Amino acid sequence: MKISCVLPALNEEKNITTVISSLRPYVNEIIVVDDGSTDSTAQLAAQSGAIIIKHPINRGQGAALETGDNYALKNGADLVIHFDADGQFLATEIPELIEPILKNQADIVFGSRFLSKKTAFPFGKRYIIMPLAKFFTRFFLGLKLSDPQSGLRALSRAALKTITINNQGMAHASEIQIKAFQNKLRVVEIPITVIYKDFGQKLSGGFRIIHDLLINKLIK
Amino acid sequence: MLQQIIALLIIIYFISRLIKEKNNQEINNKEFAVWLIFWLSGAAAIILIKQIDRLVNWLGFSGSGINFLIYLAVIALFYLVFKLRLKLAKLDSDLTTMTRHVALDNKK
Repeated sequence: MKISCVLPALNEEKNITTVISSLRPYVNEIIVVDDGSTDSTAQLAAQSGAIIIKHPINRGQGAALETGDNYALKNGADLVIHFDADGQFLATEIPELIEPILKNQADIVFGSRFLSKKTAFPFGKRYIIMPLAKFFTRFFLGLKLSDPQSGLRALSRAALKTITINNQGMAHASEIQIKAFQNKLRVVEIPITVIYKDFGQKLSGGFRIIHDLLINKLIK
Repeated sequence: MLQQIIALLIIIYFISRLIKEKNNQEINNKEFAVWLIFWLSGAAAIILIKQIDRLVNWLGFSGSGINFLIYLAVIALFYLVFKLRLKLAKLDSDLTTMTRHVALDNKK
């Protein structure tokens, strides 16, 4: 089984080498989608042995993931992992993440920061932003997953063929979850650990996600 | 009365510009028709301002006809901005598709 990891990256020269090294034992290929970086992210990733796809201009994380997915599908990936290039996820949790797909118990596995493992959330994120995000996704989108914005996920080839990411920005996380349920894919959530290096998504980012989801719905 | 004449002269100026743009083939028939209707409606509203006052009164709105026209104009502007936002989002999405093609083609 060919396991590919898609790593969207924007100006991540400080972290990219470490992240690629940490992923190496768990996947067959690492696809770095350099989303218009102005630093040496692409060169460092290439030196680390990753496959580099370069967006000439910045198009957003969702767009970079879709580009990586397209490449992985064309090149025969059986399972694709979406991972962040900033080093906030732990590669050591990949075996747990992909296990439900390998055992044919799931088509798509979402990592969740809200299940049993301990993620040290910034205060505002834990008590304001995430409850609001959960409320929105549960009542307006009908999603009953514990983490609407998790960036760590694994998709089987079948799931990858079914889901096309249209949201270019951060709304892709909710979009993937919506499409997983719409297409009746077998969904599993597993606990993951996230190491926050900065605050990450702010409240304004949450409103941006809602705005993007609505606009994307209207232009289709 | 003077204000109405000035407003009508401004509209005539814009209609003459519109005809010129049409003759130079800078706009298509549909755009020409939409803008012509827009300016003629404006001219009609100016000429019939007293009747609009009565209509607004009859409909139960407080304020004059000109206020009512301004409210309508604001609603129209909001709608146009919304349409423009959708158009931009579509262009943005097309740009992403093109960027993806370029990136994947370069990888071949």
